[in-house]
Amino acid sequence: MPIEVRKLSHIYNEDTTLQMAALNEISTSIQDGEMLALIGETGSGKSTFVQHLNALLLPTSGELQIDDRIIRANEKATQLKSLRKKVGLVFQFPEYQLFEETILKDIAFGPKNFGVSEEEANQLAAKYIQVVGLDLSYLEKSPFECSGGEKRRIAIAGILAMDPDILVFDEPTAGLDPKGAKDMMELFRELNQKYHKTIILVSHDMEHVMNYCDRVIVLNKGKILKDCSVKEFFKESDLLYQLNIDPPSILKLKDALRAKGFQIDDDALTLESVAACIKKEVRS
Amino acid sequence: MKNFTLGRYMPIDSFMHTLDPRAKIVSMFLLMIAIFIPAGFVGYITIGLVIVLAIYASKLSLRFMWNALKPIYFMLTFLLIINILVVKSGDPLFTVFGFTIYTNAIMHTLYIAIRLIYMILITTLLTATTKPMDMTTGLEDLMVPLKKLHVPAHEIAMIISIALRFIPTLIEETQRIIKAQSSRGVDLQEGKLMEKIMAVLSLIVPLFVSAYQRAEDLANAMEARGYIPDRKRTRYKQLHIHFRDVCVLLLCAIVIGISIGIAIWL
Ligand SMILES: Nc1ncnc2c1ncn2[C@@H]1O[C@H](COP(=O)(O)OP(=O)(O)OP(=O)(O)O)[C@@H](O)[C@H]1O
Ligand SMILES: [Mg+2]
Repeated sequence: MPIEVRKLSHIYNEDTTLQMAALNEISTSIQDGEMLALIGETGSGKSTFVQHLNALLLPTSGELQIDDRIIRANEKATQLKSLRKKVGLVFQFPEYQLFEETILKDIAFGPKNFGVSEEEANQLAAKYIQVVGLDLSYLEKSPFECSGGEKRRIAIAGILAMDPDILVFDEPTAGLDPKGAKDMMELFRELNQKYHKTIILVSHDMEHVMNYCDRVIVLNKGKILKDCSVKEFFKESDLLYQLNIDPPSILKLKDALRAKGFQIDDDALTLESVAACIKKEVRS
Repeated sequence: MKNFTLGRYMPIDSFMHTLDPRAKIVSMFLLMIAIFIPAGFVGYITIGLVIVLAIYASKLSLRFMWNALKPIYFMLTFLLIINILVVKSGDPLFTVFGFTIYTNAIMHTLYIAIRLIYMILITTLLTATTKPMDMTTGLEDLMVPLKKLHVPAHEIAMIISIALRFIPTLIEETQRIIKAQSSRGVDLQEGKLMEKIMAVLSLIVPLFVSAYQRAEDLANAMEARGYIPDRKRTRYKQLHIHFRDVCVLLLCAIVIGISIGIAIWL
């Protein structure tokens, strides 16, 4: 299901003194099976943008098309349920969606809303709690007894259980320990490569963006500042410095090596490939 | 929900915003009293003029004031219908389908409507132009004489200020929770009755949980900074009465004076 965004703008509190233009005529398209990173400074409009993808927010002007659904400004959107089944959104603050007595019920809540039977929903819950790295003993616990990181995993499981085609994660690794965050990224990669889900990821972690995503969109003050492949994006640290982004350490290492006169390939983005470059240099 | 204006502070730079909160609170009370003095339409026009003047001096948009009145439209319509059905005094105005409508039915509704509208406009003017913190400081100062009667003035002021402070937060929170649950297929607009009840439940639980969580955090944060309600505290922000505050109070006193005058002598 391709996503097509045409001149999308969103203004909060329009026509009041608190008016705030969060998105400004954004146009882009996202193809099936992409793994896209959405980055940008705090307040650049990332969360606002992703909430348009399943019509939680409606455009103030412009439109977006998801598959054959077109959502326009000033047009009351109805029958949004089918859209929300296709586009699963995990919020920046997962505690806002947990409400059931047990984690089992909470994960099963989404699928049941979309017409899956109770029994099947419970099986899904059992499957996805393990997928997000928690064991079955959690199912009978209350979601409110969990730590921040556990809550986040449960919230993600709740969305995965709905089996949407497009998955949108708003800073999914915030509050997870480094190992947990890495596992989560591996999971997203698997969902993308094995199950061909489109993944849209809002992240502040450049290492994750570099290692896991295919494409980067940089938002700044509600506008798209840069939209390119990950390879191109991480080619030169100059570009990142221009955009006020701290480059991943591998890029800094490459810069340091180049400053000492080493020749390093532009697309060497892992330690191994950089090591291989050094070896080649030293040999010759 | 989106245009929720009741009790919301609007950060504008206006004459009304610069007034001393105590002067504004007292003025509000004076006008409220004036509303309930039976001074006929002349009285209401006088108060109306003062309100118009205040709206002008507050730079609040007319749309904002209109939105503030939204919650009572339904009530007023309902009232009008009841009055038309019940009130049978005054001159018959006109007859539809053999049912006569009397002037008093209209007059009664009008009286109540004007009072309600005035009251809401005045409170909106106060809350929209006074920061919640200033409001409580003002309230507390005004309640100082009550301390002699062992009324916990400071505690009351603190409770009010916390309540006021958290209204917008809770509204925001509700919107966030609505969004999170909508993403999981909760359908608040379309959908059957049972589904809707379930939908509301899926909002209320997280809302309560987060409200309690917030209350606990707040209490801890206050205690951690050594907050003890009955200790004497100094203030960072001191209130001062200026000439303009006196003028506003005088104006309100004159309004009350006119109303009482009309009520007694006319
Ligand atoms: N509900 C709202 N009402 C008014 N303004 C809002 C609202 N939500 C966001 N904004 C404003 O819109 C702008 C964009 O916010 P948004 O949440 O999309 O940023 P973000 O890129 O997700 O930031 P972060 O990295 O901190 O999550 C911000 O300036 C914010 O203040
Ligand atoms: Mg955000």
